Amino acid sequence: MGKRKRPDSKVPALSMTEQEKIVYNLIQSKQDLGIWSRDMKRETSLPNNVVDKSLKSLCSKGLIKEVVTVWSKSRKHFLASEFEPSSEITGGKWYDQGTLDTEFINFLKDQCLKHIRNMKIATVDMVANAVRRSRVLKNDCSSQEIGEIIRALILDNDVIEMRSNGLGEFASVPTGRMCYKCRRSPDATKEPRVGAMASIPCGVCPQIANCAPGGVISPTTCEYYSMWLDF
Amino acid sequence: MRGVPPCSSRSKSRSGSRSRSGSGGSREGGGTMVPPSQYGIKYAGHIISSHFGDLVAKVCECLLRRGPLTHQNIVRFTEMSASQVKNCLLVLIQQNCVQAFSVEHPGGVGDTSRRSTEYLALFDNIIHRMRFPKFVAVVSQELDKECVELFQGLLQHGRLTLEKMIDRAKSGQEDSTAQDATREALSKLANARFVEHCPDPEPHLSPPSEEAPARKRTKSSKMVAEPETIEERVLAAATPMEAKRFLIIFDTTTEEDGQKTGDSFLGVGEKRKSDALESNKELGSDGEQVLWRVNVQEFMHRFRHKACVENVRERLDGGAAVALSAMLEISKSMEKKVKTDNSVPLSINTIYEEVMKGEAGRAMTLDHLRASLVMLGCEKGVDESYKIDLKNIIEQAQNEEVESIVLKRYGQEAYRIFRLLSKANCLLETGKISDTAFVDKKEISKILFRLWKDQFLHMEKIVVTGPRQTQFLLWKVDKTTLWPHVLDEMYHAVLNLNLRVAYELEKENELLNLPIEKRSGPLEKRYNRLRTVRLLLESSLMKLDDAIMLFHDF
Repeated sequence: MGKRKRPDSKVPALSMTEQEKIVYNLIQSKQDLGIWSRDMKRETSLPNNVVDKSLKSLCSKGLIKEVVTVWSKSRKHFLASEFEPSSEITGGKWYDQGTLDTEFINFLKDQCLKHIRNMKIATVDMVANAVRRSRVLKNDCSSQEIGEIIRALILDNDVIEMRSNGLGEFASVPTGRMCYKCRRSPDATKEPRVGAMASIPCGVCPQIANCAPGGVISPTTCEYYSMWLDF
Repeated sequence: MRGVPPCSSRSKSRSGSRSRSGSGGSREGGGTMVPPSQYGIKYAGHIISSHFGDLVAKVCECLLRRGPLTHQNIVRFTEMSASQVKNCLLVLIQQNCVQAFSVEHPGGVGDTSRRSTEYLALFDNIIHRMRFPKFVAVVSQELDKECVELFQGLLQHGRLTLEKMIDRAKSGQEDSTAQDATREALSKLANARFVEHCPDPEPHLSPPSEEAPARKRTKSSKMVAEPETIEERVLAAATPMEAKRFLIIFDTTTEEDGQKTGDSFLGVGEKRKSDALESNKELGSDGEQVLWRVNVQEFMHRFRHKACVENVRERLDGGAAVALSAMLEISKSMEKKVKTDNSVPLSINTIYEEVMKGEAGRAMTLDHLRASLVMLGCEKGVDESYKIDLKNIIEQAQNEEVESIVLKRYGQEAYRIFRLLSKANCLLETGKISDTAFVDKKEISKILFRLWKDQFLHMEKIVVTGPRQTQFLLWKVDKTTLWPHVLDEMYHAVLNLNLRVAYELEKENELLNLPIEKRSGPLEKRYNRLRTVRLLLESSLMKLDDAIMLFHDF
C-alpha cells in the first residue's frame, strides 16, 4: 500500500515528483480551509524554493488553486482544486471579494434603526418583517441576519436590548421576549455622551505614560493642551 | 465544525506578567491595605504641598508610600528633624489627613509588651480636599447662610470645638447672639449629618491574631470573609458609635441634667459605651470640648446617589430617573456604607408616595412607574416590593466612562470590540470577535493588539495539535486589572489639569495684578482668554473628579 497514495484521489500520482506529492497531500488534507504557503514550508520541512517550485507546478497542472483570504491581502493561500473555500477564508456572507462589505452593512444598520425608531420597541422578527415589506433589498435578509445587524447596533450603543414586561410601551411585545429600543432621538448627536476623561487631552493622549512634570512631555509644555486651550 | 477546538495546551497569559501600574512602593507595617496608585500618591502629595507646603507634603507622601509609621521612623525616612515631623503631623491630624493609633508589640520571653503610636495617612481624606466646593454647594442648597459659614469654617480648620466656632462667629456680634446662632447652625448641620464628632485621637489596635475572633461575634459572617485592611481597622476603632456621632448637647444647666440628656440618646445595648462616657464626662458638662468636623461620608452617599440617577436618566429615561431617585430617598437612612450593593425592598405604594412628592413624578401613573421599575432592572419580590441593584448601575457608569476613552483613543471599531468583550465577560476568539463586531478580518488583529499593548485587553494563546489551525488568540476585558489602571491614569490627568491651571495663572500673573482700568485692547483680550481657559480647566477638573469618585469611592 502506497503510504501517500489516496484511494479517493483522482490524480495520477505518477505525474508528480516526490516533493510535489508531499505538498499536494498536505494541501488536500486541509480540505476547504486550505493552507498558507509559509505554514506549508514549516509543516513539510522542505526548503522554500522547493515548495515554491512545487506550488507553481501543481497550479499549472490544475491540481491546486490560489485563493484570497480575508485575513490578509498579501498571504498566498492554497486549496486543492476540488474544494470551494470555506467561510473562514471568504469571510462569509458579509464579505465581498475578501473585504467586509461595510457599505451594505451600514445601509442595513440605517434601515434597522429607522424601523426600530418608528415602532419605538421592536423584536428582531418585527424589524426583519419591516425591512422585507419596505422592499429596499434585492435579496431578502433572514431574521438571523437582521439579528446580527441589531447586535452590532447594540455594540455601537445606538440600540438597547430589554426584556418586555408587556406593560406600557412594551404592550406591543409579548411578555418575556427580548426587544430593542433606540437610544437617541434622530436629531440628537450621533456620538454617545463623552466621558470626563475622554473630553480632556490626557484622556486620549497616546503619550500619557511618558508624561511627567518637568519632563520632555509635561502638562505645561503639552501640544495637545495648547491646541485645546487655543482661544 | 468551525468552532474553537478543545485546547491541548494553554500558554501562560502574557498580560499577566505585565507589571500593574497601580501598585505602590514597598510598605512597612504590613497589613493587606491596597496602597493608592502611583499617580494617586503624586496627586495627594500635590494637594498637600499646595495647601500646606513641601515639608508637610514630604511627611504625608512618606506615610502614603510606606504605610503606618512611628514618629521615629518618619524622622528616619524623611531625614527631617523630630520637631519638624511633629509639627507636620499636627497639621495633618488637624486637617483629618492623618490618624494616629497605638499598637501593642508582644514582648519576648520575660519582656513586657511594648506600646507604640503609629501614624496612618488617610488617602481618601486628602483627595476629598479638592471636593470642598462641591460639599459647600450641597450645604448652601439645603441650609441657611449661617450654616454655610460655619461649615466653611470647619472645612478651613479641619476640626473645631463649639467654643472655637463661637469665637469665630463673635467678630462684630454680641456674645450671646453669636453663641445662639452658632449653636443653632451646628444643630442644623448635625441633624443633616453634614458634620460629626471627630474620631478617637488614638484608638488602640490589638494584634490581628487576637482581634480576629473578637470581631467575628460582632460582625455578620459576610463581613468577616473579607480581610480587613489596617486602615479599615483603625478607622473602625476610631469612629464614634453611631448614637454619639451626631449628638449635640449644649450644657447650659447642671452637670446632672446634661448627663441625663446624654443617656436618653443612647439606645438599649449601648450600656458598655455609655459607661465609658460616664467615666470621662466627655459629653455632659464638657460638651463644648467635643471636636467637630465635616462628615465626608454623608456627601459621598449623596454624590453616589446623584451619579446613579444621572446615569439612569442618560441611559434610560426621565421616568426611570424619577423612580430611582424616589427609591434612594426612602432608603437613604438605612444605608450603612457608601458602597451599598442593593437597596432594601420597597413596596410599590411607598415608592409611589415618594414619587408623587416631586414635580416630575406627579404626572406618573402607577403603570408608568411599574414599567420604569422594570426598565431599571428592579428585582420584584412578594407583595410587589422592588429592590434596586445599585452596584450594577455604578458598574454600567464605569463601563461607559472607559468605553468613551476607547472610542476617542482608538475609534469606532475598537469601541465595538471593547463593548463586545466587556459585555461577554469571557474569552472570545479573534474570528468570533470579527464576525460579531463587524470588523474586517484584515484589520482586527491590529486593533486588538493595540488595545492589548495599552492594557485595555487581556490575551491568551491556545495551541491546538490538530490537522487544522494551530494557534488561536483569545481576548477579554479584565476589569480587575484595567479599572485600577484607568483610575491611575485619571489621577495622572487630574494632576496635569491642576498643574496646567497653576501654569496658566502664573504665566499671566502680571496681567492679573493690573487694575481693571488698565486692562484694555489686547490686554483685555488676553484677560478674557485666561478667564475662558480657567473656566474650561476648572470645569474639566470637577467632571474628572466625579469620574474618580465613580471608580474609587462608589
